[in-house]
Amino acid sequence: MRTALVLLFLLAVASVPGSVLPQQGIDPQAVQQYYAAHPALAPLLDRLSLFNVFASPWFAAIYLLLFASLAGCVIPRAFRLAGSARQQPPRAPANLSRLPLAARHETQLTPDEALAAAAAVLTGRRFRLRTGDGWVAAEKGYLREAGNLLFHLALLVLLGAVCVGGMFGYKANRLLVVGDSFANTATALDAFHPGRAVSAADLQPFTIALDKFEASYITSGALRGQPSRFDALIRYAPQPGAAMRGYSLRVNHPLTVDGARVFLIGHGYAPVFRVTDGTGRVVFNGPVPFIAAEQAGLTSEGVIKVPDARPRQLGFAGVFLPTAVDAGGKLGSAFPAPLNPAVSLVSYAGNLGMNSGPAQSVYQLDTSGLRQLPVAPRPLAPGQSIKLPDGYGTLTFTGYRQWISLAITYDPGTLPALIAGMTALAGLLLSFFIRRRRMFVRAYPGPGGRTVVDVGGLARSDAAGAFETEFTTLAGEISSAHRGSEPAVPARSPGRGSGAGGPPALADQTEGE
Amino acid sequence: MPINDGLANLSHYSFVATVVAYALAVLAFACDFAFGRDTLGPLRSARKPAADLVAVGAAPSSPGSGTSEPGSTPSVPAAGPGTGQDARGMGRWVRVAIWLTALGLVAHIIGVVSRGLAVHRVPWGDMYEFVTTVTCVAVIFFFALMLRYRAYRLGLFVIGPVVILLGLAETVIYTPAGQLPPALQSYWLAIHVTSITLATGAFVVAALLAVVYLLADRHASRAAAGLPTRADAIFRILPPPKVIDQLAYRTVVFGFPLWTFGIIAGAIWADMAWGRYWGWDPTETWAFITWVVYAGYLHARATAGWRGRKSAYIQLVGFGCLIFNTVVVSIIITGLHSYAGLS
Repeated sequence: MRTALVLLFLLAVASVPGSVLPQQGIDPQAVQQYYAAHPALAPLLDRLSLFNVFASPWFAAIYLLLFASLAGCVIPRAFRLAGSARQQPPRAPANLSRLPLAARHETQLTPDEALAAAAAVLTGRRFRLRTGDGWVAAEKGYLREAGNLLFHLALLVLLGAVCVGGMFGYKANRLLVVGDSFANTATALDAFHPGRAVSAADLQPFTIALDKFEASYITSGALRGQPSRFDALIRYAPQPGAAMRGYSLRVNHPLTVDGARVFLIGHGYAPVFRVTDGTGRVVFNGPVPFIAAEQAGLTSEGVIKVPDARPRQLGFAGVFLPTAVDAGGKLGSAFPAPLNPAVSLVSYAGNLGMNSGPAQSVYQLDTSGLRQLPVAPRPLAPGQSIKLPDGYGTLTFTGYRQWISLAITYDPGTLPALIAGMTALAGLLLSFFIRRRRMFVRAYPGPGGRTVVDVGGLARSDAAGAFETEFTTLAGEISSAHRGSEPAVPARSPGRGSGAGGPPALADQTEGE
Repeated sequence: MPINDGLANLSHYSFVATVVAYALAVLAFACDFAFGRDTLGPLRSARKPAADLVAVGAAPSSPGSGTSEPGSTPSVPAAGPGTGQDARGMGRWVRVAIWLTALGLVAHIIGVVSRGLAVHRVPWGDMYEFVTTVTCVAVIFFFALMLRYRAYRLGLFVIGPVVILLGLAETVIYTPAGQLPPALQSYWLAIHVTSITLATGAFVVAALLAVVYLLADRHASRAAAGLPTRADAIFRILPPPKVIDQLAYRTVVFGFPLWTFGIIAGAIWADMAWGRYWGWDPTETWAFITWVVYAGYLHARATAGWRGRKSAYIQLVGFGCLIFNTVVVSIIITGLHSYAGLS
């Protein structure tokens, strides 16, 4: 257990840089920004895998060590637990007053009667008993060992569940414009991160269509512009050809299809453009998803690429403003809802460079082969057009649609991980809060025909001082059981003799006082 | 549903009243240290309430056993309830302080509840609401501890920091009542944040007790070694260091399962909202670190039998992680948990 906790602690320390430095797996853009800001330091950090802590070899080394430690621990522990199931409490020591906790009282019962009464009290408190000549030994708290074993086993299962999720699960993303639909196939997904044992054929074959997306925002007060509700009305079919069913997809309200789950994780605007080229042909007509550059007004950026335009290919870099306002000559968006939508574009003509070189992002324009066209910068309202110079054609901003981004995840390890986590917790609490503790009772004839009863107690460690209390209670119960079953005698004053302060007595030698 | 401005204002004014009442309570606690009867009395009688503390839960003891000779062991159970011993031990100033604390607590609860009614949800959606609620939990928890274990005089050390926290909440990070973003609109908010809040409240009390313990223990060991000591009057009337240590331990024992449950509930919520139960988000990472440190504390006490200074330091390290998580991570480091509402 100590090794497991030390390794857990090491795991915690090792995860610190992952929470302070940007991580490739969580926010790749932030990593790029870090490279730009610290050009000397960043490559060094990268060599230490500090931008990918949770997938780094040294992080893996720690949890593999933890795994090995757990596995090596569980088997001997299981044997020990099996052994302790039949184990008897040890014999009572000869002199109980030397124990950390001790009490003494007298009774008129015979020693055997007194021991029987004490044994009854201890059995009633679910102690395991062993009796001998003139003594009773009792022990309790065997569940501690069981809790310990449970904790180790459950941690093993937890690590196994994480592995199962990594092997057989997958994560994917898809951007979906209102009015469109897609099927859950590897080619239709924007990003697909399968587990090692997952192939494209294993994807659940559902189809999703987005009918409508509603976003509400707070319109007044200090929180003006903060979103208050997102609601995507979708239809989905679990299998190709199956009947479509409606569903209201919201944040915190994912869709579960066939074991896979679909989450609403983002939204934005897709202005719709129609481009007529120099020959009079409509070469582009459709929505272009723009990405939000800021959240307060949802000012969004995007590019339009028109490779089919003649005589020259056309490209546009633009900004979509849901609520366009002119703030001192600078164009901005004052509110995230489309109260006064406008688009501002920079136009290019030339070679988009899409036929050669590395694959391009749909959100970036490679302007190396392009020439910026001299078009007066003027924001367009829906329905307005730009007439490009030199007979290159016309662009019309016909309106806008909204888009949502979906995360699709499948993780068969989730439920096992949850059960294992709960079990580990239960085991940990058992082993922390239950302690093995022993009670001993000796009864022997004393002066005046009375019987002297010694009670002693021992706990391996008593963090909260709880055993002191329990001992006092038990000693008191034994004493009153003796008093209750003896013939009526005059009440005795407590505090006779030295060492014992009358029933119930706390010991003199409590540790650390 | 629209925000109820009347209730939101009531909440704000209740918190102001709370700060005033707590501040006066702190003053009364301080007066007790300065002018209280026990300050001038002999050391033994001052320690009497502390002896009760050890024997809490013991079978009823007979009256009279508490009035033992000087030099008798402090583990002899002192008088039980109703013998007048504890009432005398409490002192006039302490009684005033406790009443003021109770008054402040009522206003505090009214503040939290009316904020919740004003916004039609559990009132712990942003940093301001979190701090007002955590301090409320800490005071409730301490109040129970104080009454159950008669640790009245520790009030100064708990209510004092609470006044500062609550004052900062009302002035620096005050956030007007408002609707939550869609990401927080889930019944898991009530489950996850409530358990984390309760656990944080308990950990705050435990950490304050650990600090008091470290000071008292240092004072006691210096006194035992014959070295010069300061502030004798204060430490003489506090419970003995061992007892403060045990109180701190019990407080962590209360908070730790809640914290663990909060993390598990958070993992379930993350799975429902983001599609993964654990993603090493900065807040998740630090919650895990905090958990491991407190687990180490409990483990050290359960198996190694560590008490006292070493375990108190571990506990304070755990609390440091907790504070780092609530303050630095949620305000400065951005992650999925950036809901502090501060910009």
